[in-house]
Order: sequence, then structure tokens, then C-alpha cells
Amino acid sequence: MQILLVLVLTGLMRALATFDADEQTSAGVSLTLGYLLLSAYFIGGLFKSIGLPKLTGYIATGVLVGPSVLGLVAGPMLGSLRIVNGVAVALIALTAGSELEYRTMRPLFRTIRDITVYGVLGTAALLAIAVYLSRGLLPFMQPLSQSETLVMALVLGVVMVAQSPAVVVALRDEMDAEGPVASTVLGVVVIADLVVILLFALTSSLAKAVLGGGVDMLQTARTLAWELLGSLVAGAVIGYLLGLYLRKVQGGAALFVLLIAFIIAEVGQRLHFDPLLVALAAGMFVRNLTSVGDELHRHIAAPALPVYILFFAGAGANLHLDVLWVVGVPAVLYVLVRAAGLLAGSALGARLAEAPPVVRRYAGFGLLPQAGLALALSMLFAKTFPEFGVEAAALTLGVVGINEVVAPALYRFALVRSGEAGKKQRSLPPAPATPLPEPQPEP
Amino acid sequence: MRGSLRRVAWLALLAAGAAAASSPAPSGARAASGAGSDAGASDAGASDAGASESASQSAEPSPRPGLLEPLAAPMVAPLPAVEPDPALAPVIAGSDSAAAPQPVAPAERPGVVIRTILGLLALMVLAYLGGHRRVLAWEKRLGISQVITAGFPFVLLGMLARSSSVGILSDPILAELSPLLRLGLGWIGFVAGIRFDTRMFQGLPARTARIVTLTTLFPFVFLVGASAALLFAFSDQAFQPGDPVFLRDALILGTAGAMAAVSSTRSLQRESRSVVSRVIRLEELAGVIGLAFVAAFFRPQGASWQMPGTAWVLLTIGLGATAGLLVYAILQRQPEGADFVVLTLGSISFAAGAASYLLLSSVVVAFIAGVLLANFPGGYHDRLREILFRLERPILLLSLVIVGALWQVGDWRGWVLMPVFMVLRLAGKWLGTTLALGHAELDLDADERRAIAMPPLGPLAIAIVTNALLLYPGGSISLIVSAVIGGGVLTEVFLQLLSRRRARLSLSPGSG
Repeated sequence: MQILLVLVLTGLMRALATFDADEQTSAGVSLTLGYLLLSAYFIGGLFKSIGLPKLTGYIATGVLVGPSVLGLVAGPMLGSLRIVNGVAVALIALTAGSELEYRTMRPLFRTIRDITVYGVLGTAALLAIAVYLSRGLLPFMQPLSQSETLVMALVLGVVMVAQSPAVVVALRDEMDAEGPVASTVLGVVVIADLVVILLFALTSSLAKAVLGGGVDMLQTARTLAWELLGSLVAGAVIGYLLGLYLRKVQGGAALFVLLIAFIIAEVGQRLHFDPLLVALAAGMFVRNLTSVGDELHRHIAAPALPVYILFFAGAGANLHLDVLWVVGVPAVLYVLVRAAGLLAGSALGARLAEAPPVVRRYAGFGLLPQAGLALALSMLFAKTFPEFGVEAAALTLGVVGINEVVAPALYRFALVRSGEAGKKQRSLPPAPATPLPEPQPEP
Repeated sequence: MRGSLRRVAWLALLAAGAAAASSPAPSGARAASGAGSDAGASDAGASDAGASESASQSAEPSPRPGLLEPLAAPMVAPLPAVEPDPALAPVIAGSDSAAAPQPVAPAERPGVVIRTILGLLALMVLAYLGGHRRVLAWEKRLGISQVITAGFPFVLLGMLARSSSVGILSDPILAELSPLLRLGLGWIGFVAGIRFDTRMFQGLPARTARIVTLTTLFPFVFLVGASAALLFAFSDQAFQPGDPVFLRDALILGTAGAMAAVSSTRSLQRESRSVVSRVIRLEELAGVIGLAFVAAFFRPQGASWQMPGTAWVLLTIGLGATAGLLVYAILQRQPEGADFVVLTLGSISFAAGAASYLLLSSVVVAFIAGVLLANFPGGYHDRLREILFRLERPILLLSLVIVGALWQVGDWRGWVLMPVFMVLRLAGKWLGTTLALGHAELDLDADERRAIAMPPLGPLAIAIVTNALLLYPGGSISLIVSAVIGGGVLTEVFLQLLSRRRARLSLSPGSG
């Protein structure tokens, strides 16, 4: 039945395409949103029935209907999903922040620190070494000197190691997972997000200096401080306002949360804040410094599913399968190196921190998925180093693409095997309905 | 029963898909539109009369007839192709027409941060005050609750956010939010349709049809007449009654004016309220038919799939039925909670988007889908209504913010049309009701008669003109939007003043 519905929807889309309307019109966007939402939902259900994450189904739908395969969702329409992506990232980060309770996370701090150091930083170094050693496979590295190759390898190592808090949060919600593995992975990907942003700024500045572009260290420090500290302060202010609203105002909270997510995504980006950090800080503020953390979590859950589906389907549609043919061999090599590094590094970090065996065994799988941040860094890398052309960007996008499709299934496997899937207590009361319109008399 | 219904549903789906797939876009039509488009573009900035002139120029036969081009002369001359009004361009052309939002320069950042925080604080204070019991009591005392309910403050919010001094709803942001407006229109149509359970018309008094006909017809005729008079007065060109632009505008204005809000029945006893609200539902049906007619017969020249208007009407019905059957098949999966929200949102967005894509009315297509779902058997009705009604208000209010952002209040003719619209609409409603109930067998008291004769404007009227704005984004439609939104607010204010005066008179010592 689900397949039939997807086929009917796809048939209708094909039929409508013969109308020859300008695909960039907002009518086409509305049609695309509805089509993506429905088809990704059904294909997600199909994936679940064969033991794969729904999320992989959403991404696969995007790949299938996107420009790379069927072309039902054209490039310009994907551009119009930008706002959905921004709101989704903000909502995901708010969810993650609202679950990072200091009291409950405190016992995990040592594990999180060690996994971040050995797993994330260790893998970044390992990837840099792999890039350096395999530079013969990378045409854009050929003209570089030894030192230039080294710094570029460092930058690429940082870009390729990035994790995905979005996938981690969405999968944990989908699997109703709860336990040390889910909590530790969430803590690590959040911290790693900060670390990766910081490292990218530092290594790319260094690379610019070595490549002869010149660099103003003071300016770099100022930009970084604004992006990181400014984001945290802005997040705290927004968290305060959110808490105030949830405590003082009756009704409309889900709408207000959506508005906040919109502002974080739109205004935050224009102000050079990191939307993920702003929302994360806001969520953490509400969870740890107010009494309405559970309420916030409930109100995020209401609009979250449609936004998540569109976000992941859009991410899938944005994957350029064609680049995989160009950079296939090195991309697969780095995916394997990254996976090996993250799995081994996390196991080592967890062992040194004396974490439970289940964390040692399975936490590394949660670090494998890539999505929003990794894509953003890949694009930033291409923008920062235009002299390396599209090939360098294709390499990082290829790595992200493979991890985006394959890694969620592996993390799902880890959550199931660790016994944490389905353990989340459903103690929270259901979200209250958005205030109904004034009663309208019905016959 | 269910099995056969499903078989019929799938057959209809396949037939609709096959029909759509077998409709090639005639290249000749596109090619022929070029000249007309240019002419229309140059006229768009001038006046309605100018646009009318280009209509008659562009009504010439296409040099390369397409496969589906009508053999006989069309009932209505094709509309001139008009370039979207620059203010409306973002919501028509989508986000790629505008650049992404520009980063804020470092020196301006503190100002933006402060403005954003102040804006959020202001919104919170508004929300807090809006829900405060003292404020509610004060609103009730002043009798402005209906104006608030109609969402006019959100229209103002949109206008403010769009203004250059605030600049939150810039072109790129508006372009990205535009699908929300189409979703909102589809939602309003779907909600109106889902309320259209045919069982509610069982046992209606015999003269109901007459009431509906007259209370719809008179405001319609009055407003069409007023449009003719004002067009004549505003224009320096010779007035041509057959001008498609004039006919379209007049029909849209008349259709919107015929709509009424169910909120006018609030003060009535439950039983009579039922009769009166059923009359208003039937008026909504008339409005939807009017909009379907306009969208089918007044096609912008140069659009693909050249077909006669009747074929577009049939396609509208087919698309609505397909959407309804699709949603019906989806709802057979018995989704729960967030899954239900996803499926409902996706279905309405798909139906509204498909209609808009074909330059048909998303309100009408979603309405037809809603009517089918309201009348099909199944156990989904209550859950579907609950989701629809729960999200109706937030979606309507967000749509109104966008409508406010698009509302062009600079043209003085729009301001002239506002009171004209209010007066003629109420006069038409009053006359229609008086004539219909003159020798009525219906036993309606004064309050009930007043609810039919003096109703405020319903959200469907706003949806109709907004839909028209998206279908015909240039020329004189913005005047119609001004007339209906402004006239709607004026009507509510006037009716509140009237009811307060009546209440004062009834309380005065001499009133008996």
C-alpha cells in the first residue's frame, strides 16, 4: 500500500511536470514540500519495516527524487528548503540542549572528554595523515609543496571528522533510546561540534598563512570569539526569553518555539552566529536554569516530525551522486579511515574513562553519521579555498554523502544491540493542543 | 462498500494521472505568449484601463494552435499576461528570484541584536496581554473581539515587518515563506470543505435556498455594479463591459463580498444558530464555485495546457477529487499523533501546490478534497477535524502576516473601495434577507435575521482575494485585496458600534 501511494504521488508529480510551469515559482515549492513530506514519510516506513532507520528512508527519498536520480525535485526548489533546514537545525539543537542536564550528565563528563580527545581529535589527526599519505590520489594536492600539503591535510582532516548532532538526536527520538550510550554520544557530538568549529577556524587560518594569503590572527580571534562566545551569549538570552514565555504566557508556546527557531536560523546566520550553538545554549539554559525544561521539550516535539522529514529528505536531495564517481576511491578510503578512527578512538577513550562496557563497544557508532555541520563545513572549505576548485569540495561532499546514507543504519544497529532502543520512559504528558479557534457553531 | 469505494478511488486516480500525463504543453502557446507578455508587462505599471487595452490586443488568435486549443471562440477573452507586481514578485517567483539574506556588517550587529530581542520581548508582552483576563474583559466591553479574531493585528504586523525601517520580512524571507501562504489557503479551503457534511443539509427549511440565493446574489450584483462604476470613474479609457480584466475583478469582488462569517451566529440560541450557520455554509459553497469559475475561465495568456474554461473546471474538480481520494487512501493507514500531522500537512500542501502549479485555485481544490473526506465513510473524521481545527488558527494567522506584508496600501483607490465595499455588501445582504424573508415560512427572530442580514466578513473572503492575488499578481487585483481586507475590518467595527448602540437603546428607560 505504501509503495502504491508513493507511485501514485510520483505519477502525479510527473504528470504535473508536463504543465511546463516555471519550476522556480513558489507554487512548485509548495507542491514539492507536500510531495517530499508524503513520499519520504512512506519510504521511511518501508525502511523501518526492513529493519533500517526511517531517517535513512527520508534521506534515500531525497536522493531518489532529487536532481541526481529522478529529477522530480529540481535544484531551485531545493534552494527554497533553506529556511526549513535552518529551522530544523535550530529545533534539533534546542532538543539536544534541553536534554543536556548538568546533574545527569556530570557522571559522563570524563567519558565524554576522553572520547572527544581520543575519538574525535585522534580521528581528525588520523584523517590528516591519511590525506597526506594518499596525496597522489588527489589531483588538487599535486602542485602543493610539502608544508602546504601538510596544512591542507590538517584542514581536510578537521572537515571530514565532523559529526552530526541532528542525526543523533533524530535517531534517538525515532528509536526511543535512552541509556549511557545515547547520552554519551549526544554529549560527545555536541562538544565535538564546538571543537570542530574551533579547529576549522584555526587550521584554515594557518593554511591561508602558509599558502601565502596572509592572515590577521587578531581578526581571526575576534571572528571566532564572536561566533562562539556570541552564539553562547545569544543562546542564553534566547533561553531566558523562552523560559519567561513558557512560565508567564498561556498558549501559543509551540508557535513561539517555531518563531524562535526561525529567528535563530535567519537572524543568527546574518549575524554570523552559529545557529546550532545558539539553539543548543538556549536549550541548555532552559533545562538547567529554569523549571520548564520538560515543557520546552514537549512543545518542540509537536512541530518536529514534519520539519525533520523535510530536513533529511532535503539533505538527501542535495547529495551529488555524480561527484562520487569522480572522487570515489579516495572518498571510500577516508570513510573507512574515519570509521576505524572513531570506533577505535571512542573505545580507547571510554576504556581510559572506565565507562561501562556497553559504551566502549557502541558509542563510536554514534559518531559516524554526518549531515548538516559536515555539509556546511564542506561548503565553507570550498569557499575558503577556491583555488582548489570543485574537486576538493567534491571529495569532502563525497565523504559526507557516504556517511549520510550508511552511518544512520549503523548507529541504529548500535542502539538496538546496546539494549537502549525503546527504553525511553514515556513519562511526559502529551503536548497540549494549540489553543483552538474561538468555538464556531456547528450545525 | 469500502472495497468498491477504493476500487473507484484508484480508477479515478489512474484516470486523472493519465489525463494529466496526456496533456502536452503546446509550444506554440508559449511562443505566442511572448508578445502578449511584453505588452502586458508594460501595461501593468499603468492602469487597469491600460491592462484592459492590452487584453483586447492580446486576445488575437495564436499563430500556432496547440493540440488542446479550443476550436470555438472562448467564452471569455484571454487575460493579458501581466508581469508580477514587484511587491508580489517574491511570493510568485520563489526564493531563487532573490538573493539569500545578506550578512549584517559588524558595526550594525549590536543594533540588530537589540532590535531582535526587543521584538521578541514585544511579542511576548503582546501574547501575555492577549491572554490576560483583564484585557479580554476590556476587549469584550469595547466589542472589538471580532476584529481581533479576524486577525487584523497580524495583517498590521506583516505590514510593519515588511516596512523598510524594520526589514524583517525582506524579499528573500518572504519568498521562502511563500509556500506557507499557499498552504494556508489550502488549509482554509480544506477546513471549509470538511465542515461541509451533506447530512447537515437534511431537514433544512424549504425557503433556505431562496435565502442563500438572494443573500449571495444581491451583494454580488451590487459589488459588480460598483466595480463597473468605479472602474469607469477611475479610468481615463472608454469602459468596455466585456473587458476580461474588469469582469475578473468584478467577479472576485462580488464573490468575496457574498461571504459571511459563522461568528455572526455566536449570540444566537443553539437551535436557530444551526439553521443560520447552515445558510452561511451554503453561501461559502457559492463563493467557492465563483472562485472556481474565475480561475478556470480567466486564464493568464501564455500559460501552458491551452484548454477551454469548461475543461479547466472539470480539471479543478478532478484534481480536488484526486486529492480527496489520495488523502482518503492515506488515512486508511490509521496514523496517530505526529504521523497524522505529517500526513495532513503533506496532503494539503500537495493539493494546494498542485492547484497553484496549474494556475487553479488552491482554495477550491482543497475544498473539494475536504468535502469528499467529510462525506466518505471511515473512522478518521474526528481526528482529522481535531488536527485541522487545532492548526487552523496558527496557520491562518501566519498567512495573514504574509498577506499584510503583501498588502499595498499606497493606492488611494483601494481606500475609496473599502467603505464602498462595506456599504454595498451590507446593503445587498440586508436587501436579500428582507426579500427572502418577506413572505417566509421561516420563523426567525430579529437576532437571527440580523445574523443573516448583517454578517461580518468570514476568513474565506480573505482567502478568495489572496488566492486571486496569487493567481493574477499584477494590475488591479491589489485594489480588490485592499477593498476586502479594509472593508472587512470596517464592517466589523461598524457592526460592533451598531450592536452597542442597540444594547444602549434597549437599556435606556424609554425603551420599554
